[in-house]
Amino acid sequence: MKRIAVLIILVALLLSAPGYGSQWKFFEHRYKYKLGDVLEADKFVKKDGYWEGYRGNKLVGYVFLSKDWTKKLVGYSGKHMETLIGLDPNGVITGVKLIFHSEPIVLIGLKDENYLEFLKQYRGKNIKEDLAVGKGISMDAITGATVTAVVQNAIILGSARKVATAAGIARFARAKMEKKKISRKYTPLTWRELVDLKAIRNIVVRSEQLGIKDKGVYLDLYFGVLTPPSIGRNVLGDKLYNDTMKALKKGESAIFVFARGKGSFIGSGFARGGIFDRFHISQNDKTFVFRDIDYRKITRIRAKGAPEIKEGGIFIVRSEDFEQTLPFEFNLILTYRVGSKKEFKSFSSRYKIPERFLE
Amino acid sequence: MSRKKFNKQRRKLLKILGAASVATGAGVMMPKEVLLARAEKKPKGKLSYEVKPGELDEYYGFWSGGHSGEIRIIGVPSMREIHRIPVFNMDVGSGWGITNESKKLLRGKYAGDTHHVHGSYVNGTYDGKWLFVNDKLNNRVARIRIDYMEVDAILDIPNIQGAHGLFPQRYPRTEWLVQNAEFQIPVPNNESNAKAFNEPQKYYGMHTIIDAERMAVVCQIMLDENCDLAATDYKGKYSMCTSYNTEKGVTISEMLAADHDYLIVFNWERIRKALRAGDYKIVNGVKVIDGRKGHDKHGITLRIPVPKNPHGVNISPDGRYAVCSGKVSPTCTVVDLELVDKAYAGKIKPEECIVAQPYIGLGPLHTTFDGRGNAITSVFIDSTNVKWNIQKAIEAEKQGEEAKKKNPHIIDVLDIHYQVGHIMASMAETKEADGKWLVSLNKVSKDRFINVGPLKPENDQLVDISGEKLRLVHDGPAYIEPHDCIIVRRDIIEPKVKHRYDMFEHPLAVTENKVERKGNKVIIRMTANAPVYGLQEVKLKKGDRVTLILTNHDEIIDLSNGCAISNYNINFVVAPFQTKSVTFTADKPGVFWVYCTNFCHALHLEMRMRLIVEP
Repeated sequence: MKRIAVLIILVALLLSAPGYGSQWKFFEHRYKYKLGDVLEADKFVKKDGYWEGYRGNKLVGYVFLSKDWTKKLVGYSGKHMETLIGLDPNGVITGVKLIFHSEPIVLIGLKDENYLEFLKQYRGKNIKEDLAVGKGISMDAITGATVTAVVQNAIILGSARKVATAAGIARFARAKMEKKKISRKYTPLTWRELVDLKAIRNIVVRSEQLGIKDKGVYLDLYFGVLTPPSIGRNVLGDKLYNDTMKALKKGESAIFVFARGKGSFIGSGFARGGIFDRFHISQNDKTFVFRDIDYRKITRIRAKGAPEIKEGGIFIVRSEDFEQTLPFEFNLILTYRVGSKKEFKSFSSRYKIPERFLE
Repeated sequence: MSRKKFNKQRRKLLKILGAASVATGAGVMMPKEVLLARAEKKPKGKLSYEVKPGELDEYYGFWSGGHSGEIRIIGVPSMREIHRIPVFNMDVGSGWGITNESKKLLRGKYAGDTHHVHGSYVNGTYDGKWLFVNDKLNNRVARIRIDYMEVDAILDIPNIQGAHGLFPQRYPRTEWLVQNAEFQIPVPNNESNAKAFNEPQKYYGMHTIIDAERMAVVCQIMLDENCDLAATDYKGKYSMCTSYNTEKGVTISEMLAADHDYLIVFNWERIRKALRAGDYKIVNGVKVIDGRKGHDKHGITLRIPVPKNPHGVNISPDGRYAVCSGKVSPTCTVVDLELVDKAYAGKIKPEECIVAQPYIGLGPLHTTFDGRGNAITSVFIDSTNVKWNIQKAIEAEKQGEEAKKKNPHIIDVLDIHYQVGHIMASMAETKEADGKWLVSLNKVSKDRFINVGPLKPENDQLVDISGEKLRLVHDGPAYIEPHDCIIVRRDIIEPKVKHRYDMFEHPLAVTENKVERKGNKVIIRMTANAPVYGLQEVKLKKGDRVTLILTNHDEIIDLSNGCAISNYNINFVVAPFQTKSVTFTADKPGVFWVYCTNFCHALHLEMRMRLIVEP
């Protein structure tokens, strides 16, 4: 419980202002490493972005640094968690070692040992499997540090899959899909029609699924991409839609998320750190988390027949790496309580803008 | 008789009774049951005022703070006080009056009396750029930039006292503001004019025109009369003031002597003409145009006689009528602004601009509008809000005394608790008046809240005006002492309000922590970044003149840092990306902890640094 309380006041670090490094040392941790820490081999051969490891003359795996592959993935601190990863030719992770991080986990009562404990579970996992925090990857060791866990997971799997593709042991590059243009056409549509067209996707979490002694829907969540006028204008109304679109900079896109029920996808812990730790989106190997500066609160959906909502907002994806016309996953890591015990469960839903809203 | 039929007959009877009671000339004192029966019959106007946890108010309410000197932001309809903007007062919480930036604006004056808050306009509605507010106490006008909800200019106005009614230009945009002077004084009011001190006939009222962009006085129109409340029209042609002391009295009985006082209209085109012609005197650095009767060379002023000691003047949202509330007279005076054009052209007499003078109640003070042709007037002595129809009042006026006696214009009368001053409906001072909510700013709360001692709060009552009847829904206590408010749709304000400062708008924004010393002058440039200050210690010598400049580098919304210097009587708050500075003399040797006062972080208590003042 104490951890929950402390989580609420967790804070993100300074991202870009110069001249502060020295005062932030107390959050920074750097570890020495050697390639053999994550793969048992007697010889390492440098390749482009990774090392091949040999025992005798036999290739036994690959070793690589995450910053060479997924540097853009940053944690709570706004910094990349540098990780050394070993992978065998079958796609099984042989070892993971943390080299540098400045995640402020001390503020939620965690020590670096807890972080290292979290990383241990990756050894023996096959990257060809579908792994996510809450799905094959447990957050128990660093309970509360959701953003750290989610991003660390994306760093390990993202880097490993890229190396596996580069080394030719497995193919992870998805079939290349063409970006499309969003149609500027506007059709008035009701809430029901938008849901039926899959312009709005729904995640329903029932209390029974969570083991909560309570009947009915715990969280009824709706999300979608805002940009097509037939979606955005219907959902937000003209003024708010236009305001939102006007405020977007080049390369940015906007999604909306609404929910009702007892549960919450926003939670109450985002406030001080400015990061939403209960949901994120991912596209291929990229993970996008949201900060308070990306968020505008919405209390009412304008589409005809829309339900009353308990919480919701517009969320701006700031990264150019997100391509809104291509499929993406909406990942919910729901925090809830069974009695006084804090639990997590992951849910995920795939989204693609329906073809009729594309050119 | 069936119950249904009985009720129908009863309602019919009550209706007749009600009409009869009005016809007897008892004004609006309909029996309570009649009002009740009517209300039951037409259960319209059921807006929900509940704003549940997590929901947002539909309106920003900007409230003046009276002699607290501040402005408050109240959410409407929840009536929650959401924020305070220190204006003319010292606020030790935020550091307003402590920091160099605020001291530069306040110039040593920390008392103020704010009455009227108004927003800047474009084409007859708010543009969400600025608020303006008067200071009746020290005769100033402050401008608040809405993006930061912070004062950015304070203007001292010479040659006036009792800076009361203030109103911005509504069309085509706010280039000018008008500020009325309620107290007549000698002009100039200094030793050079001492012979006038004991001659009240040589005291003058003033209608001051201010340039909103430059925050500078354009000119002043000097009058014999006093200038009380203010209004501007919706065409950018006129401003107005009510005048209750046309007598130039200095005692109450003298001020009440005349049976008629004035609504005075000012013609802006003719003001510009006088300025171009150079027909003004410079007094205390300001252009003063003589607008006195018989001296008004350019015919700037038009005096419309209204009954004894009027109070508010408000313009209907269609721009057509100015409604002048009677105060001592139980009536409102409706002036047709289209006729004012004719009066200026000399085609009709000023009094012929009046198209109705309906009975309202005892002590009408201010009038607001629902955008559906109805006016709602605050009535002080009766302690009511009176809803009446403007066209019906005009028709009855045409029909004559008999028709007027029936008070056909009155739609509803609501008892309020107690003794209302200002009254304001949502968006009512714009062409977009929407007739949803009304706030009755009552001067006396008496028994409406738990007893907090002899000094009691005001009572701002929320009234649903969406139906035919006025429906009282909420009592809201207010500390000293809002006079007036405006209620602005959220969609106008919300997109303009920022979460963080533009860091480099402040020329001293700190990006590098350092201490500079020149002789005994020390400048400490420091950053705040929860939970650390950029410096852990600074060494000073006793007698050093120290300037501390602090910039908050946290980008996170709502992450403000405080900065208090122990035993040095200094505290202020820096919001995300904001810079503030303080200057003090290090006159006490010792170790003095500087600590964060504004909760910022799990390690908030650890956020501190030392000033070491060597003997």
